[in-house]
Order: sequence, then structure tokens, then C-alpha cells
Amino acid sequence: MWKTILRRVLIMIPEIILLSILVFLLAKAMPGDPFTGSINPRSSAAQIEHLKQINGLYDPWYQQYWNWVVHLFHGDLGQSYQYHEAVSNLIGDRAVNTLWLSAFTMVLTYMLALPLGLYAGKHEGRLPDTVIRIYTYVTYCIPFFVILVIGLWIFGYVFNWFPTTGSVSPTAHGMGVLSSRLEHILLPGLLGALFGTVNIVQYMRSEVIDAKHSDYVRTARSKGVPNKDIYKHHIFRNSLLPIAAFGGYSITGLLNGSIFTETIFSYPGMGMLFIDSINYRDYTVITALVLMFGILNLLGTLLSDIILGIVDPRIRID
Amino acid sequence: MNKTKKKWAVSSAAIMIALSLAACGNGGDKKKSSANDSGRAKLTEVYKNPDKASKSANAKSTLKVAEPNDSPFKGVTEPTLADNQEDSNVFSPGGNGNLFNVNKNYKIVDGGLADQKLDRKKNTVTITIRDNAKWSDGHPVVARDVEYPYEIIASPKSTSSQYSADFERIEGMADFHKGKTNTISGFTYPDGENGKKVVIQLNTLSPSMKFAGNSFIWGTVAPYHHYKGIAIDKLAASDQVRKNPLFVGPYKLDKLVAGESTSWSPNKYYWGKTPKVKHITINVVSSNSIDKAIQTKKYDFTTPGGVMRGTSYKNLKGLKDYKMVGIPALSYNYFGFNVGKYDTETQKNVMDPKAKMGNKKLRQAMMYAVDEDALNKKFGNGVKWRAKTLIPPVFDKYADKSAKGFPHNEKKANQLLDDAGYKKKGKWRVQPNGKPLVIHFGAMQGSATSHATYQDYLQRWQKVGLNVKMATGKEMEMNSFYDTLQKPKQNQIDIFAAAWGVSSEPTPTQLYGEDAPFNMGHFVSKKNTELINSLNNKKAWDDSYRTQQFKKWQEYMNDQAAYVATDNSFDWNPVNKRVKGFDLSPANNDFWANLSLTSSKIQ
Repeated sequence: MWKTILRRVLIMIPEIILLSILVFLLAKAMPGDPFTGSINPRSSAAQIEHLKQINGLYDPWYQQYWNWVVHLFHGDLGQSYQYHEAVSNLIGDRAVNTLWLSAFTMVLTYMLALPLGLYAGKHEGRLPDTVIRIYTYVTYCIPFFVILVIGLWIFGYVFNWFPTTGSVSPTAHGMGVLSSRLEHILLPGLLGALFGTVNIVQYMRSEVIDAKHSDYVRTARSKGVPNKDIYKHHIFRNSLLPIAAFGGYSITGLLNGSIFTETIFSYPGMGMLFIDSINYRDYTVITALVLMFGILNLLGTLLSDIILGIVDPRIRID
Repeated sequence: MNKTKKKWAVSSAAIMIALSLAACGNGGDKKKSSANDSGRAKLTEVYKNPDKASKSANAKSTLKVAEPNDSPFKGVTEPTLADNQEDSNVFSPGGNGNLFNVNKNYKIVDGGLADQKLDRKKNTVTITIRDNAKWSDGHPVVARDVEYPYEIIASPKSTSSQYSADFERIEGMADFHKGKTNTISGFTYPDGENGKKVVIQLNTLSPSMKFAGNSFIWGTVAPYHHYKGIAIDKLAASDQVRKNPLFVGPYKLDKLVAGESTSWSPNKYYWGKTPKVKHITINVVSSNSIDKAIQTKKYDFTTPGGVMRGTSYKNLKGLKDYKMVGIPALSYNYFGFNVGKYDTETQKNVMDPKAKMGNKKLRQAMMYAVDEDALNKKFGNGVKWRAKTLIPPVFDKYADKSAKGFPHNEKKANQLLDDAGYKKKGKWRVQPNGKPLVIHFGAMQGSATSHATYQDYLQRWQKVGLNVKMATGKEMEMNSFYDTLQKPKQNQIDIFAAAWGVSSEPTPTQLYGEDAPFNMGHFVSKKNTELINSLNNKKAWDDSYRTQQFKKWQEYMNDQAAYVATDNSFDWNPVNKRVKGFDLSPANNDFWANLSLTSSKIQ
């Protein structure tokens, strides 16, 4: 297995290099540059040129790429043109916010979706199954940003139960910061979980239904194993296989962020950073983020394969 | 509040805002704006709260302020390096380093952090810092702090976009900018670097120097003792600027949550009036939810300078317990015509006599064809109205109140086109030489309102027989739009809609001058150059002459119709009735220190 992992990691290297070149070229191919449209009209034409020159925007693309790679290997992702700070710091700040919210949402989603999927599968075709299926379809059909706006309006503004903006209160100090953070992610996290269960519930439900009719379950029943144990030890575990395959992506996807949640809750995270960097041609941020997302995706695939290999001996990789 | 707003090319977001937001009054009338334009709101710039301030509310309650914005703020506290309005807004209780006090016309007056004296014989500007001026760490504000912003801006390694050729009137500035010298020779300190006096030697003075926001004398200080040792290209990213900044205003920063909020308490070293409110927080609130946030009384007011949309005004204007307060905005939307090119060798704009849009009557006809009054009645929500000239009415003294601009007149538009030889041939008019005429209109993607506005323009032009189409077939993404317009020569866009935020000193050289790179339509004429130059020539030291020349320039630009302002708007704020002392006037130099609260809870 270690050999396989090593082989996969080695294959990733040319993939990442290719990805980085593509990302770099595509970012540069967009019309405009970081100084387009937002320059102070006081600046002389010479100053605009000067700023572009000192930022290397007139260098040939391969030279710009090479400079970027060299800096990258020194741990320097460059300076954001928009934020005037190191890209690594900027991403670091936003990644923390995004991780808090994503991890919280993911835990809640699994906590909600797994029992629901199991319960629906167990009671296939009966009332609980129908109710759960309707719930997942309804939540799947409503655009998420609508849910966020309505949720914020009702629970944030009308009932005043939750904070409505930001990731932490400006007045929180010491341990209060931690509780304030939790308080701030509660509403977007709950909404994200309540309205993001469809995939897991459906996978879980269909796996449970499949497993229920499988030979090993029939054998266990004939041996007189109690129903509770059959579900606990046989059906539930085996039904988790596709969910486990999702796991790798879910973990590496924690950093992707959500543009809707972040915008509506004024929650500074990775999603908003990415969109803003594209809008303002903040090349250094765009390239760093796309490369990071690309690497995380590759790692996600590997992680999913490894998890599958561990949990399912039939497809163990070696 | 930052008095010296600078000129900015307005981004897509801002233009959306500018389009939906709007415009301003009849020229900065302190009491009430004119109601000549139908449907325009009657906003005052002061909220005269009759209630008594409460000592306990001031001491124990938090003044909650919202910064309406869809993106996190950038966190650059140093005004020379910040290049966006939201940073200025969220750090404004700290004073934004403002050096001078101004009167209602943005003229620099004595009594601020420093006073300014112009010596026209010696061509010097003497800046004298008040004796008790201190930074929020207790360190005195000294002469070097006045000079250091120029070094930050002009350093060859600077990341600041504020440098302009105008600064080169200061002796030694050009050499410093080119890296030939380590100091700017034009700065001298009669009492030493740690003294209170700075003398700036220029090659010539300009009447615009009497006003804050001019392009020659920088209007803020920088804490040299705090920044010392940090390379200028690393300054914007440094902790001194981002995490532990110093301020000279009434409040000091207690806590900063990156991109989302700032928290303030009184600066005990402040030289001016002691602030009454003991605690202030400013939170970024999405523009999607700002209306609801105000309606549910989560905030006392929105930041002065923060963008409030016209649709928000519609939703909030009748709100109980909130007063709508507004001042004409330092911005305007405009049409520009492509009539030439930018010569990169001479670095000057050049008119092309054969340009498609080179005919004055064609341009005038297009302006008479559109109906800004109707559009503003429909979409302005009372806070936007048709502009009459390129000087926004906030400049009470300089804006030409007698100008009529281009009120909708289809008959006149047709007449002008007929007179100019643009005869109809089938459905569309053709050029005087008989060739087909297709005009490409460039505009940026924006809100549903801006989309409807652009469609209305197209229909109005088509109604007078002009075949006008959207350049590239649709509205353009902001970067593509400016990328196209900023090319030295382009023929994709013949007429464009854009917006400018302007400085509190309205000289238009940087926007419409012969060598201005932002003169994106490339309009140049001998008379335009003469008129613009006359705004700051020797005679212009006489205010009445300068005012007269400003009016002549506006009249000339309206006649030429190469750039035509389309609408002005109010900068407005909802203010809760527990707030006392809310005054948006430029002359209210101590905005934050003048605020107090009449009750402990937002009412």
C-alpha cells in the first residue's frame, strides 16, 4: 500500500506542475490587470507603468512563471495586490475562518444525515422513509442562498437569536473569543447542515436497502442475530463504504469555502477571497488559491482511495 | 471622517452603487437640498437631535456603526497606502491622519492638527503642527511625520498608487522618486526633524493648494517613529500598519478583527475635544442585509462615506426612530465619447478630427435623446437626479447652478442630427458622407437597474434614428471595460458610461487634461487646456476669478459634449434617534468627538 501511495504522490508532481502552468497562464489571459480601473486618477501614466514594471507585469510569461515558482519554493506566495499583504497570511486568516465553519457544518451534516439515511433505508417504503425523502428533495430544490437569506432574516434579525455578521464579536476577549466564534458559526452551520444532507442521506439509504437484501444479512438473520446487531455490525458498516469514499473529498473540500454563506453573513472566508481575487485580478491570490484547491483535490482523491482500501478489503490497494 | 477624499476610477461594484445610489443636492446647501427636481428627497446634512445626551449612556453603551460592504475591508490603516474607501471608513474614528481642518467649501482653515501657510513670493508652504499634537502612543507628532508620507508615496519601491507628476513641483521630489537621492531636498525643518515646523519648497504654488484634497500637498501624517526601520515596500504588510497602528484622532483602536470589524475607545492623547462616547464598534455588513440590520435596530448609523443604495433609501426612509441624513456626493456618473487616441510617445491625448464621434452636434443630439429625468424618477428613489455639469453640486461655489445640462428633447436631437447631415436612409441615419453609422456603447455589468438604464439609452438613441449597439454585444465585465478604454487607441467603444469619485478639490486636470491618462475619450482642445490651466493660474488666487473660470469650463464642456455628467446623488445615512451631534458637513472636522448618545439602547 505504501508503494501505491508513493507512486500516486510521484504522479501528482507532474500533474501539479502542469496545473500550475495552466493556472498561471489562464490568470494572465484574463482581460485587465490588478491596476485596471481602480487606479487613482492622480497617478501619472509613468507611475502606472512604474507600478506594473516593479510588479513584473511586463515580463514574458515564462519569466513571471519562473519567478513565481522560485518564490514558491522559498515559501513566498507573493503579495496580494488588493490587500497589500503576504498571500500566505491572507490565505491563513481566511482558511481559519473557513475551517471553523466548514468543519462545524460537516460534522453537523454527518450527524444528521447518517441516522436519517439509515432510518429511511430501514423503513423503506413506509411513512418515515417518505417523510425523509420529501425532506431531502425539498431541501435540495430550494436554492441555498435563499435559505441563508431567509434564515438570517428570521433567526438573526427577527428573533435576534444569532449574530448576523462576521466571524467573531469585536468586543470578545480571552475565552470569550472561542464562544463568540461558535456563536457566529451556529446559524450558517445549522442551515448548511439542515439543507445539505441530500447526498449522504440518499447514498446511505440506498446502501442500507441493498445491504438489507444481501446474502450476509440473510445469513445473520437465519443465525438468529438480533435485528439491532445486524443493523449495527453488518448493514451500517457496509453502507458506510460510499460515504467513506466521499470522506477524502469532504476533508480536503473543507477549505473551499462558500461564497453564498460568506457574502450573506459577511463572514470573511476562502470563497469570498477567491471571487474577489478574480474580480480584481489579484493574480498572486488567484494562482495560490487555484493551485491550493488543485492540490487539495488531488490529495482528496488519494485520501478517498486510501480510506476505501482500508475499510473495504475487497479493493485493497497494493 | 476623511475630509480629503481622493479621485478614484470607479469599479464595477462602485458604479453599480453609483447607479443605484445617487446623487446630490443643488450645491451643498447646508439647510436643505432643493426640491426643484421632482421626487428628490429633502435631506439635511445635520441631525438636530433635541434630546439631552446621557452621561451613563455615553460611558456604558457602545455606539454601533455599520459599514455596508459586500467584501471584507483590506486592513491598511496608512492613508498613503490604502487604495479603497472601506479602509478609510472603518478606521475613521482614528482620524485617518488628517492634518488640516476645512470649512464647508473644503478650504483649509486654521485650528486642525496643523496649520498651513502659503508664501507666494518664496513659493513655500509652511506647515506648523500644534504643540499638543500626539500619536495614540503618547509620542508627539513631529515635523518628520509630515514629510514621511511623501517618502512613502514617492519611493521608487513604493506600492502606493498615489504618486503623480504634480508632486514634482516640490523641489527634489522627481530625483527622490527616480532613486537618485535618499531625501527630498524640498523639505526643511527650521526646528529640526523633531520640531513642529516643516517648510516645503516648490517651484510654483497653485491656488488649489488652499483646498484639502489638492494634488500637490498631501493631507495626512505618518508616524515615522513607528514605521522607522520598515522597508517602504513592506510597510503595507507590516504589523505597525495592520495590527498595531497609531492614530492622531479622537479614538484609538482597541481591537481589529481582520476584514470584519474594528473596536474603539477614546484616545487620551488626542489634542482636540474629548470624545463623549466611550466605546465604538464598526462592523462590515453585507449590502444585502443592511436594510434589515437597520430596521431591526442593530446599528446606530452607517459609516459616513459607506455606500448606501438607492433601494435601501426607499426601504428605510419611513423608518420610525431613524432620521435620514445626507450630503451631495463627491461623485458623478458620466458619458464619454471616443474622439481620439493617447500618444504614448508624447504622453498626450490627441483628438482625431475624423473620429466617428468627432461631430459635436452628433454628441449633443445623443445627450438630448436620453431622458435622465425619467430614469431618475423611476430608479433614483429620491437620492439621485440628473446632473447639469461635470462639477458635482457639492461644490456649491464652483458648480454652475444656471447650467441646464441636457434635458430630454427628442425634437432637438433630431434637429441637430439633421443639421449635421446625419440623414435617415431607411431605418437608420447615415454619416454625412453617406456611409452607414453604427455606434458602439460600452457599459459595465451592474445591477438590474443599470441594465434597464442601458436598455433605455439604446431605445432612446434608436428612436432618433441612431443605430447604437452594445459594444461586444453585451454589458462588459469591469476589467474588460477599463482594459479596452485604457488602450492608447481603441475602436471597440464609441460612447461609454462610467463614474468618477472626485477629490474635495475639483480641478479636473487629472480627468480631462491633455496629458491625463484617464481622459479615456481623448478629448483635447486648445480652449479646454486654456480653461483648465486658468483654474490654477496666477489670477486664480482671486476666488471670484477662479469661480468664474470654473463656470466657463463647465459651460464649454457642456457645449462640446465630449464628456457629459448624467447624474448626481446623495451620500446618505440612516441615523438612530439616540445619536446626538451627527453632522456630515465638511466643516464638522471633529465628527466622531462630537457624537454623543441620549439613551443606553438603540431606540
